[in-house]
Amino acid sequence: MCMSDSEFDVVVIGGGSTGTAVARDCAMRGFRTLLLERDDIASATVGTCAGMISSGLKYRSEPDIMKMCSTEVVHLNRIARHIIMKNPILTPFRDLSDVGSDMEYVESYSEHAEERDVPEMMFLTPEATIAIEPLLHPDVVFSVYYEEFFIDPFRLCLLQALDAKRHGAEIKTYCEVIGFETVNDVIQGVVFYNRITGTTEKIGAKIVVNAAGPWAPKIAGFSGAELELRLNKGAHIILDRRVVNVGISVKALDGRYIYLFPHENTTLLGTTALDTWEDPDSLVASFDEIEYLMRSIETYIPSIRDARIIRTMAGVRPLVADWKVPEGKVTRGYQVIDHENGLISFTGGKLVMCRHMAEAVTDIVSKKLGNDSACTTHEKPLPGNEADVDVEALSAEYGVSMHALERMRARRGTEMTKILELTKDHPEWKTTICTCEPIIEAEIRYAIREEFPQTLNDLRRRLRLGTGPCQGTFCTYKAASILSEELDLQGDDFLVDILDFRAERWKGIRPSMRGEQLAQEELAQGMYSCVGNLDQSDVDYDLKPWEEGV
Amino acid sequence: MDMECDLLVIGGGMAGLVAGTLAAEAGLSTILLRKGQSATAYSSGAIDIIGYLPDASEPFSTPEEGLAAIAGLYPLHPYSIIGYVDGIKPEDVVDEIVGRTRDTITWLKEKLKDTIAPLSGDFKSNIFPITILGTTKPTCLVQKTMYSEDLQTREDSVLLFTGFSGNADFNPSVAAKTYLEDRIAIGEPPRKVGHCTLRVSPFGKPYNVSSVEIARHLDHERSIEDLATQLKPQVEQLGATHVAVPPVLGIKTAMDNKKKLEDQIGAEVFEMLGFPPSVPGLRLQLALEEMYRTNGGKMLVGHEATSYIKTEGRITKVSAKAPRREMNIEAKAFILSTGKYIGGGLSGDENGIRETVFGLMTVTDAYHSAGEIIPSRYTNRIAISPEGHPINSCGLTLDPHFRPINEDGVEWASNLYSAGAVLAGYDYSIEKSGLGVAAVSGFSAAKHAIDFIKEVA
Ligand SMILES: Cc1cc2nc3c(=O)[nH]c(=O)nc-3n(C[C@H](O)[C@H](O)[C@H](O)COP(=O)(O)OP(=O)(O)OC[C@H]3O[C@@H](n4cnc5c(N)ncnc54)[C@H](O)[C@@H]3O)c2cc1C
Ligand SMILES: Cc1cc2nc3c(=O)[nH]c(=O)nc-3n(C[C@H](O)[C@H](O)[C@H](O)COP(=O)(O)OP(=O)(O)OC[C@H]3O[C@@H](n4cnc5c(N)ncnc54)[C@H](O)[C@@H]3O)c2cc1C
Repeated sequence: MCMSDSEFDVVVIGGGSTGTAVARDCAMRGFRTLLLERDDIASATVGTCAGMISSGLKYRSEPDIMKMCSTEVVHLNRIARHIIMKNPILTPFRDLSDVGSDMEYVESYSEHAEERDVPEMMFLTPEATIAIEPLLHPDVVFSVYYEEFFIDPFRLCLLQALDAKRHGAEIKTYCEVIGFETVNDVIQGVVFYNRITGTTEKIGAKIVVNAAGPWAPKIAGFSGAELELRLNKGAHIILDRRVVNVGISVKALDGRYIYLFPHENTTLLGTTALDTWEDPDSLVASFDEIEYLMRSIETYIPSIRDARIIRTMAGVRPLVADWKVPEGKVTRGYQVIDHENGLISFTGGKLVMCRHMAEAVTDIVSKKLGNDSACTTHEKPLPGNEADVDVEALSAEYGVSMHALERMRARRGTEMTKILELTKDHPEWKTTICTCEPIIEAEIRYAIREEFPQTLNDLRRRLRLGTGPCQGTFCTYKAASILSEELDLQGDDFLVDILDFRAERWKGIRPSMRGEQLAQEELAQGMYSCVGNLDQSDVDYDLKPWEEGV
Repeated sequence: MDMECDLLVIGGGMAGLVAGTLAAEAGLSTILLRKGQSATAYSSGAIDIIGYLPDASEPFSTPEEGLAAIAGLYPLHPYSIIGYVDGIKPEDVVDEIVGRTRDTITWLKEKLKDTIAPLSGDFKSNIFPITILGTTKPTCLVQKTMYSEDLQTREDSVLLFTGFSGNADFNPSVAAKTYLEDRIAIGEPPRKVGHCTLRVSPFGKPYNVSSVEIARHLDHERSIEDLATQLKPQVEQLGATHVAVPPVLGIKTAMDNKKKLEDQIGAEVFEMLGFPPSVPGLRLQLALEEMYRTNGGKMLVGHEATSYIKTEGRITKVSAKAPRREMNIEAKAFILSTGKYIGGGLSGDENGIRETVFGLMTVTDAYHSAGEIIPSRYTNRIAISPEGHPINSCGLTLDPHFRPINEDGVEWASNLYSAGAVLAGYDYSIEKSGLGVAAVSGFSAAKHAIDFIKEVA
């Protein structure tokens, strides 16, 4: 074991929305902070979520939580507005009896509308409804209109991590915590396996924050503590384009609400909710989940099957362990659990609350370590949100299309000028590598240099690389070359990167293979197997959790 | 509008164009419909016959060896259908298959000799050209611009990988590294490689330079000389005996360009195998179309076969739709060579796989009906592996005359033949057999159709 004498005030386990928020807060309050993530930033639950930072509409039975959600939306709009979009949403009804029972949500939504700078909830006539969304079923009798905000969950986590770094924290990805060093059952150090160097390492820690999402019970177990979660699977379907003009939220076949959200260049259809005991790492959407979502939305958008499903994604909600109630009735709040042995864990929570969760736990840390500096995470901007960006002027100055720059802006805000500066010495880096998104070569090089990706999948999370209609068919090998060049990888690693990326894309494509996707996949096989001969490659390829078994 | 002919070919990729050419050459009046793009044009332009058995890891060193293995193990593989000849002795089956394949290849090579895509290599052995990833793959024939005589045998060969600035399709440094590692591992030449990047700016812009743009640019006079001037010092500095370029040497003048470059830089130049949009694929498609027309075939591009009339077990007419017109075409026989999912011969949704023109029975890799399968269940968990995905082996199954059969195992129509990727029973991506199966089955289907038409007449 590689021993290190460095000692941290706080070690945060998990690089999802919660862990990165905690690392940021701790670092901003001056603690020596280390974040350990076994994979990449935002590689687990948070990467499978819808990114809605919601008004808490669904949780109106918990008024405190609605209020908290609303306030958090205001904060996020202050600190991260460059990665946030506002989506209008329609909830149409075909049957008046579906409505009557429960109209309080209109009031609870509207109560907090003003602070979020959105109009109060409105009722629309069938004509007005269809005018907004012509694809809706003509039998709609009325609809409800409201607005919600959406954040890029990958960028949020990454920016929180980068900001933590700027405030002195250390961020270590590909480091999996495998145990604790304890004296008299109190944690003194954290033991982790570093997958990059292939070594086991240990560092000292005064306090450890367990933000491992669905894996939190396992981490608690390493310290001898017990922790229970209610794990609940949710699946999404991703369609190849912006099918609808606005978000559509409807009652599904079983009476739950599901949604269809235009998201970046695609549309997101979700979600399901199933209690699960499966390994979260090997989860994929099932045929039943896909059909449940398609048939449910079909009752309101009859032409939905004309759109092409490009992939599915499935994740696990780490809910508070409330049992004997349906998933929808479990509190959406979170709990902070102090195991009194140097470890503090979270259960429950949501993306939208991550900053709030971090503040709560950092307050405890502060008390324990005797530090009274105040939380500022809701005031200080995340990197890139320092000022407005004039995309039009940048487009004229650097000769890159407005469309490409607008997408770049939505990832990076003011930081985009650093990328564009690179193209002065290297005009060839204005070449578009991923045409679906689009992403230019300069941004890929910049991300590799500044945002510590190790693999193509890491680049995907930072850039939305390969997430469009072709699912990386055409950009995988191009981006892999750039990554290899920048990181000076061996030829074998270059090929492994391609195989790993195809594997990850395939995980989401496979469950919903149909229609035009068959041709898309024939093309991908034609390229990587038929021509590239990668099916015969003898590189060291590790099977992924979802590839094992029969 | 109505038209009449002896043979109507539906689909204008490798399979349809080979079939149509053979028929036209035999003196039949032939019409071919092509609705849109073909997988043929997306291909790397190398003509695979058979590289591997499914799920095997050793490549065949000759097509003959591979065909014998296929005939023994996969009796319903399109290649194996060739062996079902009345009264044939079991020991002659493989010879029949090998003979037909050799005939097709020899014929095709001859036919493409004077086109923009002349072929190198021969039926006797598989070759292992380099891809733009720096890997190699087994194939049988490549276009002459893609061929290197002695790169991988000459002890002192030194290879320079050459890319183009602003062209993201190919990265010379990464390919060079990947290829060299592979050569070192197997202990064969070349033992030294290098890489360089040249500049061409077809439209004056130094970025987003596509492969097709470079090829068009190099079709213009004097642009190749400019390239040679840039390349020469690089070749000399490395001491390169060979230069690998991405497949961009020209659409019409690639052969000339190769020769000019070689003359001026003093090293052998060849194009690697690349990905779509593929210049060699495009050259192959254009060359096949030229071959078909030169032999007297008539071609209707942008025309989609949409419906048909069948009476007494025979198809009499097919209707075709173009953006501004519709027509009925009467023929004595028909060949369906509409390709797979890319070509559009097959389509599928959550309810099953369908043949798109006639609604013919489709089968799975195991020859069960594919009419009601859920596509995702006919895939493997692993994205890229020598097992491939069964969904890519779905398609039509044939009688010994290359006629699609129905649920009862007999031909669906007495005068409908089929060839190419629309057929079931093989996964070209893992076998490395795509254009080979398309050509050989196209050739075979045409032979049967020609016999049929001559008998009727
Ligand atoms: C389908 C779905 C839709 C959702 N939609 C929304 C939404 O629209 N809005 C919203 O607010 N919320 C939504 N949520 C909820 C939200 O995504 C989660 O509550 C939240 O993102 C969880 O973040 P996390 O950081 O706690 O967990 P995770 O993102 O799972 O992060 C935990 C991290 O810990 C790491 N880890 C695990 N074990 C170890 C170890 N031993 N060592 C080191 N690291 C380890 C993991 O790799 C992981 O990266 C949704 C959830 C799902 C499943
Ligand atoms: C990326 C890629 C690379 C490849 N590389 C190679 C390689 O290097 N070597 C190799 O040997 N193989 C390769 N292949 C495989 C090879 O391209 C195919 O197997 C082969 O081209 C199939 O030929 P085909 O004529 O059967 O079908 P296609 O070439 O697809 O032709 C089908 C034709 O039918 C037409 N059509 C379809 N429906 C209708 C209709 N209703 N009416 C009228 N026309 C219709 C289409 O427009 C098209 O012209 C590759 C494939 C891909 C995808």
